[in-house]
This record gives sequence, structure tokens and C-alpha cells, in this order.
Amino acid sequence: MNNLIRICFALFVLSVSAVASAQVNIEINTPGVVALKQSMQTRHAQLADFYASGAVGLTSDGLVALRDANAVPLAARQKVNGLVAAENQDRKALYAEIARANAHPEWEGDIRNTFAQRWIQRAQAGWWIQSGGSWSKK
Amino acid sequence: MLNKTLIYTTIRLQSCCLSGLLSFCLIFLPAPLYAVQITLNVADVTAPSFTARGIKVVLAQEGSAEFSIDELHMAEKTWRKVHVHCAEFLLSSARVTCRKGKLDAIPDLPFTLNYEFASQRLELQFAAKANELWQVNADFRAQPWRATALLRNAQGKRLTDFLSPNWPLPTQGALNGKLEVQGDKAGVSRINADLQLADVAAADASGLHAAEKMTGTLHVDAARTGQKWDWRGALDWQSGELFWQPLYLRGGHTLQAFGQWDGAQLKVTQAVATLPGVGKVELNALWDVKKSDLLEGRLLGKNLSLAKGFTDYAKPFLEKSALSATELTGNADVDWQYRNGATQSLLVKLRDVAVVDGEKRFALHGINADIPWHAQELNVAHVAFADGELMGLSLGATQWQIQMRGQDFIMPTATLPILDGKLEVSDFHMQNVNDMWQWNFSSSLTSISMQKLSAALHWPEMHGSLSGSIPKVSYQDKLLKVDGTLLFRVFDGTVLANHLELFDPFGRAPRLSGNLDMRELDLDLLTRTFSFGNIQGRIDLGVNNLELVQWVPVRFDAKLASSPGKYRKRISQKAVENISSLGGAGGVAALQRSFLRIFENFGYNRIGLSCVLRNDICTMAGVEDNGNAYTIVKGGGIPAITVMGYNRKVDWSELITRLKRVSQDNKAVIK
Repeated sequence: MNNLIRICFALFVLSVSAVASAQVNIEINTPGVVALKQSMQTRHAQLADFYASGAVGLTSDGLVALRDANAVPLAARQKVNGLVAAENQDRKALYAEIARANAHPEWEGDIRNTFAQRWIQRAQAGWWIQSGGSWSKK
Repeated sequence: MLNKTLIYTTIRLQSCCLSGLLSFCLIFLPAPLYAVQITLNVADVTAPSFTARGIKVVLAQEGSAEFSIDELHMAEKTWRKVHVHCAEFLLSSARVTCRKGKLDAIPDLPFTLNYEFASQRLELQFAAKANELWQVNADFRAQPWRATALLRNAQGKRLTDFLSPNWPLPTQGALNGKLEVQGDKAGVSRINADLQLADVAAADASGLHAAEKMTGTLHVDAARTGQKWDWRGALDWQSGELFWQPLYLRGGHTLQAFGQWDGAQLKVTQAVATLPGVGKVELNALWDVKKSDLLEGRLLGKNLSLAKGFTDYAKPFLEKSALSATELTGNADVDWQYRNGATQSLLVKLRDVAVVDGEKRFALHGINADIPWHAQELNVAHVAFADGELMGLSLGATQWQIQMRGQDFIMPTATLPILDGKLEVSDFHMQNVNDMWQWNFSSSLTSISMQKLSAALHWPEMHGSLSGSIPKVSYQDKLLKVDGTLLFRVFDGTVLANHLELFDPFGRAPRLSGNLDMRELDLDLLTRTFSFGNIQGRIDLGVNNLELVQWVPVRFDAKLASSPGKYRKRISQKAVENISSLGGAGGVAALQRSFLRIFENFGYNRIGLSCVLRNDICTMAGVEDNGNAYTIVKGGGIPAITVMGYNRKVDWSELITRLKRVSQDNKAVIK
């Protein structure tokens, strides 16, 4: 089943890169996933600076977290809080939607783990990532 | 030669006692004389909340002194290897004096100390560049003993070592003012502080509690009787910014408060806070400091402005809810009481309040409400609003009476005017079960004009009406369920919608499922509305297993067929071309080439088309199959025409694009 999820994720990544193949048996581009992807892409432009400054990091469970609020000007800390909350809401919904669209809601945890690894692999150098409860700079 | 003299000495102060063994090591070095020095080793010095161990004093002949202390414990803090240098040191039977003193830890802050043994007066003064001064004068013989600290441009960051590392520590800024302390044998009995903060910054390690450019004044007056302190304070926070997760506040706040403190519990008998742009709030509270637990609390505010009040003080706590993008305006009276770990009552009066969702999903204007909520008692809330909007549909004025008991809300009847119709709600019941809100009601929808509905939803203009009886609508675990059937009267026919379920209505990707059963729709009206090319006749359309995600169809089994019965059946050449262009191009090409192109419309016997949508592919079939092809319009009458479809699998997105183009341009797309 893990292989299936890896394929599923690979397809998602491919579709993000706009080179998706038409030979898709696993549903990955549902309107729900598309809506979530768009919402996350729009937000990414706002979050990118905070990843780079180390204020926000990628957690080992496929979410993001406010890692070092001191790296953010005081007036923007509330906004970062909001961005992190909204991003996590979308990420959880994304994992659930992919599992549901493939008629296997029980895959949600595995999909989340696979995504967590891939988010971290795809993170830019200098971003902070969590592993085993502690943070390190990629 | 080496001489040693041992002297035992005891130094007593009013409130503390220094005792120890001073071993005077008089070291007479052979020569020259200026190298003579005295080394004193003191075993330890102890006093209440003060200990110093491993003290070594080296007195040089020119009058300077070096003090080193292995371990110094003061104010619940410990310093190791403390080193003090006094350029001029004088110890006599009358006084001890240190001039041009310097602490290794703060080399930029030289000090002067003078202590008179007889009068027990202490003068300690730290002074540095930039006019910085920390001056302490103490009189230990007075009854009660008293000490005064005078601060002038005193740098706040110097206090870092004295404060708990769990709290925001000062990193910048200055303190000015005066701190007076009095005491007796039992300890400090009175504190009076008048402090001004200038440009102060502080932050904790996580950055979740921090302040910058804080300017303001603080006045505290506290007196102890036995074990109890009576205190009174006033804070005027003039400017600067504060982030106290998740709140972000700017200067302009004031707070006056008084209460008691018994070492375990902090009682705020009364506090008045002025919140800028919001109004005045009265508070009282009982706080268990050790457990960091609010035991009792009350908050009272009259005529508070909600615009800033909601944005600054409520919204930061609602980031994860559907209200995170909501704006409020208007005024409110609030009376909140908290006891035994829960809210006991919340009395709210709203005056001319508006609630507007930033994502335009809902809005209510002109809300006036009286909501006397109690955790235990049954009470009735009166809520009225002037108008509003829900998912683009305008709502009219109404008023509701809501019975409330704890987390249980009941409305026996309610009316919600929608467009030109009404949703009559009965037996509305909302409750919190296992920390999850759920609600249900039954209702009937009185006739809404389709003309208004289609305009509100930006659909092509439709005529007819929408009405229905809904035995039960329920919401639980993010699922909105409609039991019963909604009835639309459109295009002179009927549309029945049933088994409607909407999952996560306020989420990023709401999912709607259900069945639609449309009967005897007038094709003439329908094709005119959607500019499709005229068709006369009637059709039935069934859409089963419909599923929309983010309002886009992802799955359905649709079947369209001519309605039974006798009626005029004509189809225009334009409609034929349009149908053909949607299902496959072969038939159209034939039509264009044949003599049939001279006719504007044709007779037909039956129309039929089905589409099973899966994975964005629509699998089509018609009235009847002819090998690979299928009949969409079966000819009849004179002149008759038969339209065939040749593509069984059609990309749904492409089909929609073509339909839109047909509808917008009223032109056939022929490949």
C-alpha cells in the first residue's frame, strides 16, 4: 500500500509541475485537491520569507510550525500565527481529500507521512526542518 | 619573615547578621614597601535571602581593595566567581567605604558605597555614562527600616540576571523613578514605586511574549499586615507594542487596580482598564499564582465598540474557526462571570451590530440582541437583524427568541426571509455534545422567485419558483444533511432534489452530494434561457449520485429523455449543430453538405442523451445504440432529422468549455 501512496504522491508532484501524465488511475486532481493546492500556492508566497528566516519550519508530521517568533517583527507575529494555522488546516484537508478521492480514507495517515518526507526533501537549503522533535537547518 | 594575625569578628546589621572567620594574613614581603598587602579570607557570610561563600579580600597598601566571592546567593539567584575592585577602600570602626568601585560583571557601571556602623545607614550609588544612575539609600536603624532606590536613565537590561528566565527579559530601554521599601523584623512591609519606562524592549526565549518601544508609567503602593498585602496600582501604557501570543496590542491602554495578595492567591478586588478604541472594562479576579489558574473572574463593559474590540481581543483566538475572516462593527454591553473552572454567565447586549465575513459567505446587518446566558438557568435571548446575505442570497429583517440552558439552544419557530420568499424554521435545536456542536431543524421554504434566485447566483435568467418542505436539516461532524425533498418549479416543470448532503460547508473544498429529478421541463424556455438554439418539446432529466466538490461536478449518472405525452416537437438547425458539436462532429458535417441545410427547423420523435461522469470523463449514450454510434435525436415528421453521436467518451472539462462557448456565442463549434 505504501508503494501505491508513493505513486499517488509522485503523481501529485508531477501535476504540480504541470507535466502530469494522462495515464492516471489514482485520483489526485479532484476539484477539492485543486482548490486546496491553489489556496496553498497563494499562501506560499507569504510563507516563503518566514521559512527562509527560520521563523517557520516544516514538522516531521507533514505540517508547519512557528519555530522562532523572534525572527518576525512584533507586528507581524499574529499574521504568521494565522498563516501557520490556515496552512495546517489546508494540509490536513489535503491529506484527507486525497485519501477520500481514492476511496481509502484509512490511507490518510500514510499519505501524510509520505508527504511529510517529500515536503522536507523538497525544502530549500536554509529552511528549518524537524526530526525526532528537534530542529535543524537544511 | 612572615607574621600572621588571626582576628575573629562579627558584624551585625539591623536585619541581617554577618559572621565569619576573618583570617588576616599579613604578608610582609622582603622589599620594597609599596608591595605590602593584606589578604583576608572569610569563610562565609549569611543573612536571610543572602549568602556569600569563599570570600577573599586583598587590601593593597595604596588604599585599593580586591574582593572575590566564590559564590554569591541573593534574591533567589546565584552568581559564581564574583569579583569587585575598590580603587579607594576604607574600613574603620565608624564606617566602611568603597569609592570608584567596579564589579567584574558590570565593568561599565562604577559604584560608590558607604556604610556607617553606628547609624546603620547605607549609601550605594552606581553611575555610568549617559547620565545613568542607580542610587540606594537605606536606614536600617529606623523603625521601620527603610530603603529608597532612585533610578535615572537606568538601563533595564541590567535587571536580566535578577528576573526569572521564563518571563520576557528586558533587552533595551531605560527606567526612571523611585522605589521605596520599608520593613521590620518580619521582612518588607511596604513598597511604593513610581516608575517611568522609556523605550523598553523585552522578550522571552520563544518570542511568543515580547514588547518593543514601551513607554509608560507604573505606580504601585503595597502594604503588608501580617501575611497579607494590600496593593494598589496604576499603569499608563502610552506607546509601544506588545505581543502576548496570540494578542498583539499597541499603546494607549491604562489600568487602575487594587486588591490583596497572600503569597499564594492574587486578588484583584477591582480593576478598570481603558482599551483604546473600545471603551472601559471593569474586572475582578482571584488568581492562584502557583498553579497559574483563574479561580474566579468577572468582566464588565458598557457600550464597547466592537470594531476594534473584536479585531484586537477576540479574533486572534478564532484563527482556526469559520469566524477568522469576520469583521464586526457596532456596540455591545458585556458581563462575563467565571467560577469553578467554567463560565457561569455571559450577558451580552448588542446595539446596531454588523457581522461581515471577509470571504463574502455571510453577512448580517442591524443586529440588536439581548442574550442573557447562564450555565445553569433557562433564559431567553432576543435577537433581531435588519438584513443580511448568505452565499450571495439576500436575507430580510427578522427576529428570533432563543431558549438557552447551558450549551443547549432551542428555537420552537423562526422565520428567515430569503430573497422574496421565506424559510420557516421549526424545532431548531443546537447543542454541544462531547465538545462538538451539532444542530437540526425542520422547515418549509415558501416560494422564492427563480428570476431573483438566478440573478443572485449569477445564473442565466430563469423563470418559475423554488419551494419545498424539508422534514429535517441536521449538522453534525461537519456534515449538513437535508432529509426530505426540495421542490423547484422551473421552466414550467418540476425539479425535485433529495438526499442532499453538504460536507464541510465552511471548509476550503465543500462537498455536495444528492439526486435531482426534473420532470417535463419546457425545452423552448430552457433553450432560450441558455441561448442554445431553439428546441420545442418537453424533457425529463434525472441526475443520480451527483457529487460536487468545491461546487464542481466530479461524479453523476445523468439521463435526459423526452417526456411522455403529446406536445409539439421541433428542433432548429442551430440546435442540431450545437448538439452535434457537443457529442461528435460527424452528423453536422453531413447536415452541412446535404439539402437539409435549407430548412430552419425539423421535426423529431425523441431526444435522449445520458452521461455517466467518472474521473472527468463523460461516457455518453443516446436514445438507442447503433454499433459504435448512438442516436441523440431520433427523427419524426417532415422534414425529419436524426442526430447521431459518435464519441462515447468525452472529456468533461472540454464538454463544459464547449457548452459555455455555445451558450455565450450562440455559435456551433464544429471540428
